Amino acid sequence: MKIGVFVCHCGSNIAATVDCAAVAKAALEYPDVVYAQDTMYTCSEPGQQSIVDAVKEHGLDGVVVASCSPRMHEPTFRRTVERAGLNRYMFEMANIREHVSWIGRDKEANTNKAAELVRLAVEKLRRNAPLYAKQFDVTKRVLVIGGGIAGIQAALDAAEGGIEVVMVERESTIGGKMAKLDKTFPTIDCSSCVLAPKMVDVAQNPNITLYAHSEVESISGFVGNFTVKIRKRATFVDWTKCTGCGTCTEKCPTKNVPDAFNENISFCRAINIPFPQAIPKKATINPDYCRKIKEGKCGVCAKVCPTGAIVYDMVDEIVEEKVGAIIAATGYDLADWKVIKEYGGGAYPDVITSLQYERMMSASGPTAGHIHRPSDGMEPKNIVFIQCVCSRDPALGRPYCSGFCCMYTAKQAIMTKDHLPDTEAFVFYMDIRAPGKMYDEFTRRAQEDYGVQYIRGRVSAIQPTIRPDGKVGYIVRGADTLLGKQVEVDADMVVLAVGVEASKGASHLAETLRISYDHFGFFVESHVKLRPVETNTAGVYLAGVCQGPKDIPASVAQGSAAAAKVMALFAKPKLENDPQISVVDIKRCVDCGKCIKVCPYQAIEEVELRGGIKKAHVIETVCQGCGVCTATCPQGAIQLSHFTDNQILAEVNALCLS
Amino acid sequence: MSSLLFATPKELTGWLAKLAAGHRVLAPRQEGPAVVFRPQTAEQLAAADAEALLKRSTSSPKQAMLPQSETLVQFTSVKDAEDPSKLTTTLTVPEAAEPTVLFGCRPCDARGFVVLDRPYLEGPLKDPYYGARREATVIVTQACPKAFSTCFCNWVGSNPADSEGSDILFTVVDGGYALEAVTEKGAALLEGAGFAPADDKRQAVEEAHTAAAQGLAPSPDLAGAPAKIARRFTDEAFWTKETVKCLSCGACTYLCPTCQCFTITDEGSQLNGRRLRSWDSCMTPLFTLETSGHNSRAAKSARMRNRVSHKFSFYPERYSGYFSCVGCGRCVVSCPVSLDIRHMVTAAIEGIEAEAKPAATEAAPQPEAEAGKDKNAKGKPKKR
Amino acid sequence: MSVLKGKELRIVGFLCNWCSYGGADTAGTARATQPTDLRIIRVPCSGRVNPLFVLKALMNGADGVLVSGCHPRDCHYSAGNFYARRRLELLKEFLPVIGIDPRRFEYTWVSASEGPRWKSVVTNFTARVHELGPAPKWEDVPARYDMPEDLVNPIRPLGCGAHPSLPELKEAIKAALADGLEGVLGWKQGFDAIHAEPVFMTTPEEVDSLIWGPFNVQNLAVQLPLYKGRKIGVVVKGCDSKGVVELMAEELISRDDVKIFGMGCNGTVNVSRILAKLPEGARIDGCTCKGSKITVLSGGESYEMTMNEVAQDKCRICTKPNAVLSDVFCGTPTTEPEEPEDGRSPALRFLDSLSLEERMGFWKGQMERCIACHACRGACPMCVCRDHCVSDSRNPEWVTQEDTVQQKLFFQLIHAQHLAGRCTGCYECERACPMDIPVFALKQQFGRTIKKIFSYGAGLDPKGTPPLLTYKVDEPTIKEHDLA
Repeated sequence: MKIGVFVCHCGSNIAATVDCAAVAKAALEYPDVVYAQDTMYTCSEPGQQSIVDAVKEHGLDGVVVASCSPRMHEPTFRRTVERAGLNRYMFEMANIREHVSWIGRDKEANTNKAAELVRLAVEKLRRNAPLYAKQFDVTKRVLVIGGGIAGIQAALDAAEGGIEVVMVERESTIGGKMAKLDKTFPTIDCSSCVLAPKMVDVAQNPNITLYAHSEVESISGFVGNFTVKIRKRATFVDWTKCTGCGTCTEKCPTKNVPDAFNENISFCRAINIPFPQAIPKKATINPDYCRKIKEGKCGVCAKVCPTGAIVYDMVDEIVEEKVGAIIAATGYDLADWKVIKEYGGGAYPDVITSLQYERMMSASGPTAGHIHRPSDGMEPKNIVFIQCVCSRDPALGRPYCSGFCCMYTAKQAIMTKDHLPDTEAFVFYMDIRAPGKMYDEFTRRAQEDYGVQYIRGRVSAIQPTIRPDGKVGYIVRGADTLLGKQVEVDADMVVLAVGVEASKGASHLAETLRISYDHFGFFVESHVKLRPVETNTAGVYLAGVCQGPKDIPASVAQGSAAAAKVMALFAKPKLENDPQISVVDIKRCVDCGKCIKVCPYQAIEEVELRGGIKKAHVIETVCQGCGVCTATCPQGAIQLSHFTDNQILAEVNALCLS
Repeated sequence: MSSLLFATPKELTGWLAKLAAGHRVLAPRQEGPAVVFRPQTAEQLAAADAEALLKRSTSSPKQAMLPQSETLVQFTSVKDAEDPSKLTTTLTVPEAAEPTVLFGCRPCDARGFVVLDRPYLEGPLKDPYYGARREATVIVTQACPKAFSTCFCNWVGSNPADSEGSDILFTVVDGGYALEAVTEKGAALLEGAGFAPADDKRQAVEEAHTAAAQGLAPSPDLAGAPAKIARRFTDEAFWTKETVKCLSCGACTYLCPTCQCFTITDEGSQLNGRRLRSWDSCMTPLFTLETSGHNSRAAKSARMRNRVSHKFSFYPERYSGYFSCVGCGRCVVSCPVSLDIRHMVTAAIEGIEAEAKPAATEAAPQPEAEAGKDKNAKGKPKKR
Repeated sequence: MSVLKGKELRIVGFLCNWCSYGGADTAGTARATQPTDLRIIRVPCSGRVNPLFVLKALMNGADGVLVSGCHPRDCHYSAGNFYARRRLELLKEFLPVIGIDPRRFEYTWVSASEGPRWKSVVTNFTARVHELGPAPKWEDVPARYDMPEDLVNPIRPLGCGAHPSLPELKEAIKAALADGLEGVLGWKQGFDAIHAEPVFMTTPEEVDSLIWGPFNVQNLAVQLPLYKGRKIGVVVKGCDSKGVVELMAEELISRDDVKIFGMGCNGTVNVSRILAKLPEGARIDGCTCKGSKITVLSGGESYEMTMNEVAQDKCRICTKPNAVLSDVFCGTPTTEPEEPEDGRSPALRFLDSLSLEERMGFWKGQMERCIACHACRGACPMCVCRDHCVSDSRNPEWVTQEDTVQQKLFFQLIHAQHLAGRCTGCYECERACPMDIPVFALKQQFGRTIKKIFSYGAGLDPKGTPPLLTYKVDEPTIKEHDLA
């Protein structure tokens, strides 16, 4: 083998503390190195050209560049060696900038270390083999999990781009949390006026197949070729027949069902359509309450249904869909604030969540937009809003900021003033976080134009009292850290801006999708700054709050971004895998199955060869190249290309034996 | 016949300690429950209890001549300053063998070297490494005072006092040891040892030898065994049945004083490395694994057939009827599943005719060779 | 290549590409000055780090080895570091048994954003290694050959008399053969009265040769994978049955294919201990066993000894004298004793009493006499690679053909590492060793750590999973080693 070594000065970045010429000279002593030079900027056009020229002039069949981190320029130089006519994997990098020149001051030690790192790269390169990507077909369909605003946006954009979309929504209607909102900040425009048309578009777009009241059961396969099993939970209503006329709901005698859509501040019937603009607008029976299902008596809905859509013995159905990419947009849930005993732990009827308050203010909500406190229906004169409930609270294990509560609290305070001009609104806050367009102006408007009283401090306790008129009141005690004194507000009602957490079951879904999730269940993006939509599992993308708290505009933007990523993926006629994957030497494999057990991707299968002999086999397009199998296989039969045992051993021996 | 010399235990260890000045002295040493031949210093030998040097070794002394692993040649390459793609390579052959005294062999062990001599030294191509060590080594053998229950040197034409392959043979007698030079090399080593002449011990020595020989179980008739085992070659069912319990571990071959096979590998880097010769074993599947992946002895039965046949058929046919088994019994003692080569040999020859019947000629590949060599098959002991 | 004399020590790092390598980059970008000793080998994932790489570096003279990966739950490959955590924790606990200071090896988690953390990891680890100084070299350590022969008192009464249920067992086997079983693995007398040998019984006559008693030393489970897919039976002692169960747990044999015959075991002998009671070269003319007394006849003399004197070490601490899984169990089960307070093999007990450097000397002395026959491997029921052992391979080439102590010991380290969490403690490796090298101590070192950390014992549950082939997201029993 003939290896060329190029030692980069990186201007003075490396050369200031490493004798690059000496490193190049040392490299000439290494096995198979026939050419070595030091260059000012190897990544520059002339620098790259010098590599191409050297490959041709000296007949090199491998190149080592000693410069910056491979995480920076490995792709660059791989393209360079490819341009020179070599396989792109006949290349190695020695990181003598981030790992040497920038962290050590002793030039002698740095030079020696740089030379050793070059030696490691040479020893590895001597054992490299050309690798070739495999091409495979793509199913140009995308699965969108979650029908909130992020998922809706992603689905519509992808469908617009001509891609078939399969949308799975856990609830019986899409719309997500946004559908529950009355108004949105900072414009105070009607939430459903913005959302409902998009929901209708989803229903009407011929490219979108919607599975509501459904969940993802399992996912197999890999980028370009996923097979998704979807559990269609039984609705007990044949949706092909249901017209959404609502007769059943009117006649249903069971009226004590907590209305989840209204955040359980009101009741609905056992057969129900969540809200008038629901998509699909179909009725669903709640089997936990339906008398017919529970006790076998009743059957009123079946009697009144004009289309005969009621099916009391309906069971769950599993359907299978093939897709090439997946967008997770599973949104969020409010954290369980009832752990905070200082706020009553849920025992005080007039201490409610912001989302419950939102329903209360909604014209289509249970109170038809009138603000009445739950305990006695009184119109509150003093309302206290408490921010950062279950957010930014390390003591509760929730150190993160939920991002959008400052804004919606301002919105709710403003709307309170709109609804009830005589009512006082107090906001206890830690900091006001309003970094969006027109956001800070909005919170100022609340304070300056609407007279909302902002108190900087946390609430230490809510104390119920009986007022002289016999009515219940709530003493809200807290600190005003700006004035430096304790404050008390006698409130009629308290609204908690409860922080968000990943939606229930998110971690389970992450495991199904084989993507990472953090301590709070939020899905982990591929790179915090540069790959915020991608995950580390190829073909799986993120949109909305499932990735981390964000408001509607950001969720919509990420939904569109995810759709764009999918369209870019599908723009290619075929996909290529990364060939740095595991390969089984069938002559060594004894079919003990250990690799199959440990593979995080189910990328290894047992195959039967001639004569019934069984061996392990790597599915090339599924393997992600982690090498767990290689470190597990006792026979050394399964080797990770480009990181084989012999390559790593050569590096170890180069360091320790000579 | 040379004369007998007598040494007390102290005199014997003193002599060995003196020899250590100019020789590498290999002698048995107890290490844990095992006994192995080790180079011992003059101080160690002078202080040693002679009894401790007389134990039968667990592994054979084969490695005195044929190390487990040895460097055949060392290579270093230097790059051309003008053209780094050009290498100048220097080969270095390890230094010649150092003068060695191999003390404490048993007669079977010493005979083992005679077995090794034939492939390594006979014929046009001599093995210089083995030859040099053999040349430089004087073998001092202890006549066995007693036969172990796994001993069967009498099967292969030997006895517990056989001097074949030894340079000096000594026998334990009252109060010390009676030594006798077998070869000139041995006589030279004894010169100046200062041991008293002891021809009066001759009778005691003979008696000890006879007593030891009587402790051996009688040998079966192995006349014609090479031809019979050759004819068993194609009897797959036989070899399969005999090797059902074999673990293919190869301990038998590594312990064997006469197993002679080796493998050659290069170790080190491109610019500095060595070519090694190390023990190989026909009991492992790798032994006959071809580059294509084909293995002519993939089954352990085929491998066991090779081991038994090599000792009792192939080797005798090649070398004038001498068995290449010396009957030390180490393979029996140390087999984890108590496989017994004695049983396999007797079972293999049972019911087999030595002469090929015309009809079966095709099955037995070497009937011609057999005819001339059968009469030597007894492997009669070489009497001086 | 060499480190800068007097300034640096040889420290090797294995860093995962996605987190820790990035963390080191981040530290570099922030110009976070660090000691220069560390040489980083980039791997895709900490799960790629075979613990044997670490051992290789340390055996070849590295003064320190550092592995760093993504924080648990943050793995780019979702689970690689979970596997790494288990493997590396076990490795760290293993090192002292071969005389390597465990402080010379560390593993930790650093994310791509944690530049400052990386700096302190490197700084602290380098300082630690410098404090320890250069690692002792195998060449310099004096070899030692001593090992006290201290017999452990058995935790249950050991016996050797005829088993009253043997006829019943024979009848059961005959019936099973008549019922279509191809054959049954058992023991018959070997070349003399104190040696047994395995037999594959296919006829009633062969069944009549079956013996049961103190000489049935071989673990026949080792044979089972060779019969994969065939319906056979096997006679087991308690310890053997664990091998059978572990093979089933790893799906190397099928439960449906193997019929297990068991009887209560009263202990087996270490033949070397019997021979040591006889004059050198004594031929065995016969042997009688009664109660706990063995009488060997040799040369007209009879030599008496008790099971307590000659039993194998494993039998002295055995808590599973009855098959843990069987289809046919004849006779009354032997009473199972409580776990012993000290279940260590004599060699491990001895090693524990030595200093680290003395332990190196111990292994040096032991491995010098190794003839690399690998009978230990051949006798091991869990060595399922058989003809494809990695130590015989050039690709990968973990060991060379050189007969140095390091190379020969490294094979033992491979064996021990491959058996970690799978070894059922049958002792066959040590029994099979013709040179009597106490190799089981290495497996037991892993075994006791596994028991401590994972409360797992191999070969007890046919549905079990060896702890290195699985993981938990949270490992309450593994303490994080924080270098930052």
